[in-house]
Amino acid sequence: MTGRAITGMGQGLGKFMTLGIGTEIIYSFVIIVCSLMIYFGTRELYNLTKHKGIKYFRLSFLFFALAYFFRSFIKIILFYFDIREIRLLLPVFGSVTLFIFMYFSAIAIFYLLYSVMWKKWKSKLTIYIFHLSALIISTTVLLFITSLVYFTINLLLLIFIIFTVYTAYHQSKKKKSYNLYIIYLMLFIFWIFNIIDILVPSLLQTFQLFIYLFSLGIFLLIFYNVIRKTG
Amino acid sequence: MLLEKPAKMAKRNKLEIIRDVLRIIQEHREIKPTPLLRRSNISSSRFKEYYSELLEKEFLKETYGKNKKITLTDKGQKYLEKYQTIINFIDEFEL
Repeated sequence: MTGRAITGMGQGLGKFMTLGIGTEIIYSFVIIVCSLMIYFGTRELYNLTKHKGIKYFRLSFLFFALAYFFRSFIKIILFYFDIREIRLLLPVFGSVTLFIFMYFSAIAIFYLLYSVMWKKWKSKLTIYIFHLSALIISTTVLLFITSLVYFTINLLLLIFIIFTVYTAYHQSKKKKSYNLYIIYLMLFIFWIFNIIDILVPSLLQTFQLFIYLFSLGIFLLIFYNVIRKTG
Repeated sequence: MLLEKPAKMAKRNKLEIIRDVLRIIQEHREIKPTPLLRRSNISSSRFKEYYSELLEKEFLKETYGKNKKITLTDKGQKYLEKYQTIINFIDEFEL
């Protein structure tokens, strides 16, 4: 096989894997609907119990829905104007949108972790620390426009997530929960891929279809489990 | 010879105590506060806390006739109906 043929195949594969605006909208729509249905589907359980775990579980999906909404909004603008960064076209508006997206993304992750760890993390300061951390993450993303900073932030976030999920699993009395923690870990890892896809659009372009399908699968699986348990 | 200690009743969590209190009211349809406290199997100080919380959440209501009686509200009834679903959900997601 010649070098040109291999390059051609690579380009063809890249073209196939790079997704259009329609796919973006469908992808975001399904995840937003799933997240909102989880949020509203668990409202009665929360109203009856005021259980802290249920509270942060459903709030995390509300924030996932909001984050995906802003994510798709950024993607649509990038597609429409054929630019690499939203801040290049609309400096103030783009920065605010990116800030909100990063803030909701970080809070969604923190709240989902807190929903399984609230019995261990009893300090009232925990929630304030999460909001402060989310603010720091969002501000850093705005102030430092370099890939190295983006990777460092997401790597730190990933290390924190892996450590917390591992601790939660280790302290869990029910070893049958192994699947739940694997699902959560996958959700967080692929959510970080979704964040990187916004911050450094060219990096994960080849794997976009795989990331989207896997993310969809995880959200649908959690949604199915919620429906199964809440009726 | 060492005598075997009687098996301790497992410590109930908040949701279980609420379920037990509401079940006692449901079984009696209406009940006076003192028998409810006795049957709830919790200390009077904790009972007071739970009692005010359940009144505040509108799970039960007080009726005044000859004596003060406690009855279950629709919301309290709903809690009992949904209790197993709540527990299953909390258990599934380790909340």
